[in-house]
Amino acid sequence: MLLRNTFTCALIVLGLASLLRSSALAADGPAPSEATVRAAVVEALTKQESAEQVAALRKIPVDAGPIAAELLTLWKEGGIYLHEDDEGKITPVTLTGEKDADGKQAALLLLDKSPFKDGEGKPILIDPAEVSGAETDSNIRRAMKDLTDMAALSNPDLKIRLRAVSDVGLELNQEKLPALLERQKVETHPEVKKALEQSIALTQLKSPDDAERIKACTTLGNIGSIPSQDALKTLAAEATKEGKKEVAAAATAALEKIASHVKVVNTAGTMFRGLSTGSILLVVAIGLAITFGLMGVINMAHGELLVVGAYTTYVVQCIFGAGLTLAPFSQSSLTFTIPGMHATGATFSVYFLVALPCSFLMAALVGIALERGIIRFLYKRPLESLLATWGVSIVMQQLLRLVFGPQNVALESPAWLSGSWVVNDIAFNWNRLFVIGFAVIIIVLTWAVLNKTPLGLLIRSVMQNRDMAACMGVRTERVNMLTFGFGSGLAGLAGAFISQIDNVGPYTGQNYIVDSFMTVVVGGVGNMIGTVISALGIGVVDQSLQQILGNPVLGKILVLGTIILFLQWRPQGIFVTRSRSLES
Amino acid sequence: MNRPFQRRESIIFFAFALLLVVILPLASSIGWISPFKLNTWGKYLSYAILAIAVDLLWGYTGLLSLGQALFFSLGGYMMGMYLMLMIGKLGQYKSNLPDFLVFLGHSELPAIWKPFYSFPFALLMVVLIPGILAFIFGYLAFRSRIKGVYFSILTQALTYGAALMFFRNDLNMGGNNGFTDFRFILGADIRSDGTKRTLFIVTAIVLLGVYAGCRWLTTTKFGLIQRAVRDSENRVLFSGYAAANYKLFVFVLCAIIASIGGSLFVTQVGIINPSEMTTQKSLEAVVWVAVGGRGTLIGPVLGAIGVNSLQSWATRAMPDYWLLFLGAGFTLAVLFMPKGLVGLPLQLRNAFVKYKSRSTAEQDATPIPAAAVTIKPTPSPSSSPSAE
Amino acid sequence: MSQKPFLLAAEGLNKSFSGFKAITDLSFYLDEGELRTVIGPNGAGKTTFLDLITGRTKPDTGTLQFEGSHDLLHKNEYEIYRLGIGRKFQTPTVYTDHTVFENLLLSLGGSRSVWKSLFYRLKSEDKDRIESILKTINLTDRAHWKAGALAHGQKQWLEIGMLLAQNAKLLLVDEPAAGMTDEETHRTGELLLSLAGKHTIVVIEHDMTFVRQISKDRRVTVLHQGSVLCEGSVDFVQSNERVIEVYLGRKSKAA
Repeated sequence: MLLRNTFTCALIVLGLASLLRSSALAADGPAPSEATVRAAVVEALTKQESAEQVAALRKIPVDAGPIAAELLTLWKEGGIYLHEDDEGKITPVTLTGEKDADGKQAALLLLDKSPFKDGEGKPILIDPAEVSGAETDSNIRRAMKDLTDMAALSNPDLKIRLRAVSDVGLELNQEKLPALLERQKVETHPEVKKALEQSIALTQLKSPDDAERIKACTTLGNIGSIPSQDALKTLAAEATKEGKKEVAAAATAALEKIASHVKVVNTAGTMFRGLSTGSILLVVAIGLAITFGLMGVINMAHGELLVVGAYTTYVVQCIFGAGLTLAPFSQSSLTFTIPGMHATGATFSVYFLVALPCSFLMAALVGIALERGIIRFLYKRPLESLLATWGVSIVMQQLLRLVFGPQNVALESPAWLSGSWVVNDIAFNWNRLFVIGFAVIIIVLTWAVLNKTPLGLLIRSVMQNRDMAACMGVRTERVNMLTFGFGSGLAGLAGAFISQIDNVGPYTGQNYIVDSFMTVVVGGVGNMIGTVISALGIGVVDQSLQQILGNPVLGKILVLGTIILFLQWRPQGIFVTRSRSLES
Repeated sequence: MNRPFQRRESIIFFAFALLLVVILPLASSIGWISPFKLNTWGKYLSYAILAIAVDLLWGYTGLLSLGQALFFSLGGYMMGMYLMLMIGKLGQYKSNLPDFLVFLGHSELPAIWKPFYSFPFALLMVVLIPGILAFIFGYLAFRSRIKGVYFSILTQALTYGAALMFFRNDLNMGGNNGFTDFRFILGADIRSDGTKRTLFIVTAIVLLGVYAGCRWLTTTKFGLIQRAVRDSENRVLFSGYAAANYKLFVFVLCAIIASIGGSLFVTQVGIINPSEMTTQKSLEAVVWVAVGGRGTLIGPVLGAIGVNSLQSWATRAMPDYWLLFLGAGFTLAVLFMPKGLVGLPLQLRNAFVKYKSRSTAEQDATPIPAAAVTIKPTPSPSSSPSAE
Repeated sequence: MSQKPFLLAAEGLNKSFSGFKAITDLSFYLDEGELRTVIGPNGAGKTTFLDLITGRTKPDTGTLQFEGSHDLLHKNEYEIYRLGIGRKFQTPTVYTDHTVFENLLLSLGGSRSVWKSLFYRLKSEDKDRIESILKTINLTDRAHWKAGALAHGQKQWLEIGMLLAQNAKLLLVDEPAAGMTDEETHRTGELLLSLAGKHTIVVIEHDMTFVRQISKDRRVTVLHQGSVLCEGSVDFVQSNERVIEVYLGRKSKAA
């Protein structure tokens, strides 16, 4: 047994060498045709011994293209059957069509996909239970993997090729070096080129030649190769042991360079995540910056206004999709159905654009009702408005729960929100970029409404001097209503946005209320720019603390503590009140 | 300044004391009141203590703290630590350590737990821990003159942060399950009817003590300043008082009162976990005060007992709609009943007088100056034009 | 200049609120025992000046000395009060939910510590003092009314009474006659005159009849755009051309 294994190993090494040679040759000539590849696979399949099969596999050219991968996968998964005729001739086939009464199926030749017939041209039917399938063992699978890996180096699909190049490098396998070098000659894509450089250098770390190893270290250091850190550490340790000071020094130097690169990447990543966290804060707080900041209303139902926006988005999505059936108040007699448009694909994915204005309007209407019904009586009693709106928030949570059910509703995020864009090892997730973009749009929108519209002029005049504005003929009651409606609408927009990145349930709003208030308070009440700065600042601090502490909850607790201490330092920015009587 | 206890009030106070400390426990011991009921009422009484703490801050000093539930739970946790250790080897893991610590892989009791074998130490911590936390937070907040809604928002953040902390397992405070399954208190079986009755009596006595203490406090010159801070903090500063010190005193005091209430709560309810430590819970206590009548001491007590009794009935009778009624009712109470149930008779009387004078004014066709109608000077402190 | 230091010396004060210069290079000196009237058009910085003295706002630059030795810039409201500087606000600011008696009690001199306030007992001399003040401000029969229930003029007096209770060295009185009938105004003037000598008083006022009543032979300071325009007797001031131009002139135009 042992002998057999040794023999197989030897064969594999031999096979690999021949394989690499053939790949080197193949890089110059035209890619082999599908027929050649099929023939080679068939040949490997018809061999009796595992070692022979491995040897045969090694002969398949590495630039065989996707067909080789397809056939090998079929083999691995047991999709190939070996038909043995009376003379012992083995024919690899695949099965096709329906089973007949005897459980037999028609077969296709693996060689050329033609129907499998006997000498008289009659199709041979095969019972999968009776015929043996092509089998694999670990050696064969390894040979297969080598083959597919190497083949992937020249795969036309960029993603697969990039993965393959990186993976091969991490194997630190000297024998794969020639293939990498060959690929480097023809590769044109810059990303793959960079990965190739890294993989080659990584592989060269194992080179017997010290000069080459030092050179490889320098290269890795220069490109700031993060994945090579482990290999470099091992090398440094080994070289020290062997007394090769120069190699060890080179490895250490490279490690230092990489470490500083990692630092840059982490800092940039933290900043980016901080910006996006801050943007979430900003989006959920901007409505509050208007209702609380400009108007001085403590609206504890702000979170529920967010949720109204989120549910509106949900309803719009259902209308675009399969429709929605609700049985509010757990009364089946009240059941009603909103029909769906059964839109799919691109039509469906625009639902979000439709949902945005709907969310704004819904939340604004609820906000206006709230202002007219309750808040307008409490403008001079902020603590009471806090309490009254808390009562409203309970009612709203409960109503939402009774209408939409206690469970979170399922919202489909557009596919384009997943994935990321990597620049220089820094990953920019699409959903985080979306968050930032959304925040920018909302801020611009808010700024434009406040500064470029007649409504904005009225809002600013009333907020600055209510009595004077009233004297100038401004209908302050109406402006209050519209301002509150606008702030609430912004909360609704934030809800639509939240629905894309978080769960939506009746109590979701509670998760955002503390953060929103903190953001506005830190930014300075009545100061929109302050809100922007504070949201981004809190976001960055939050993410930095998370990075340092490695724990999101602890980070959050520290942020709250930091805010309290911050207010020690700058309470005036927040509490500027001046008037001739003592209490204003 | 008014005298601490008027005669009539004393009689009512002692009648209540008799009822709570003697009659109800007696009725329970001869089987007229089920031990379960008495235990539930005991819970309400500990809520009443919390309500007084909320009111002393909000109704009397104008500080709407959303952190009282935090102090209440802290008291509960301190007492809970003692009770956890008293379980001894009766836990699931048959270890001297509380079950959750065994579960977290501890083989030895963490140092902070060790002194809690002592009941007096636990009591001391019930007073000290919330007191110190309130002192630090209050010192920072009042020094930088954070007041009004900003104070509310900051206490909300404090509570939120503390709850996040207690949800974590590595605080060694039981994570989100908290403490439960208590067995003994001072050697007595905590689940026995006799112990429950004793705990009820203790809670009642503490409540009466807190009530009397606060009643005294509010009638001193300190009480005058306290209400002056509520009505016109700046004027207080310009009268030479360091308002921050007065607020800090009340804040720390109320944290301790709430904490004592929480420690009594835990012995009777038998569980404490971080879900008690939320702004929502603080606001619920504010609801009791608002409904009962803030700025009075009897209001919070009545509110806490009343709203909770109603709630325990309503959550069974109409589980889906109870919260709707609670929320809507509270909003209406804030809008239309600024003085709560206690102030309702006076409010109705004023409304009636106003209505009558208006109708007589119409009959006489002689305009009556607004001041003559709305301003009804009375020496009693409980009737007043609403203070901004 | 006498050897004795000024009771209050303000030098080179500047204060601006987000760009608007409320006080510009203001210097102001007050001797002990003076009754000084400060007049000036709206926005001249009169109330802001009082805010600076009482620690309600801090100046951007300048110095403020009290009795030559106390630097007011580094003290807060209640510390300044404890030095003996009392203030009556333009809009009467009393404790509306407290009785008149309690208002005065809270303003009486004495300890301000939390601990003492817990165990304070009303002494007979305090009671006598409050009763004599009540008599002075003519509110004896309103002693147990809520201050919020008083008429506007009565609130003004109550606030003056609170100043008296404090027994302050320096009284800052912002528009005491605002909202009063002529008779009430006149009585207020007499009250202030009776206090002159015992206390040092700064009165800010618009009503020129009232100013004439209380500032006979006394110095009047005119503020304009945050600094002193001129200072002197009321006749001198009223005949000053620039004063007529910026203040009286404007007033006549408005009328």
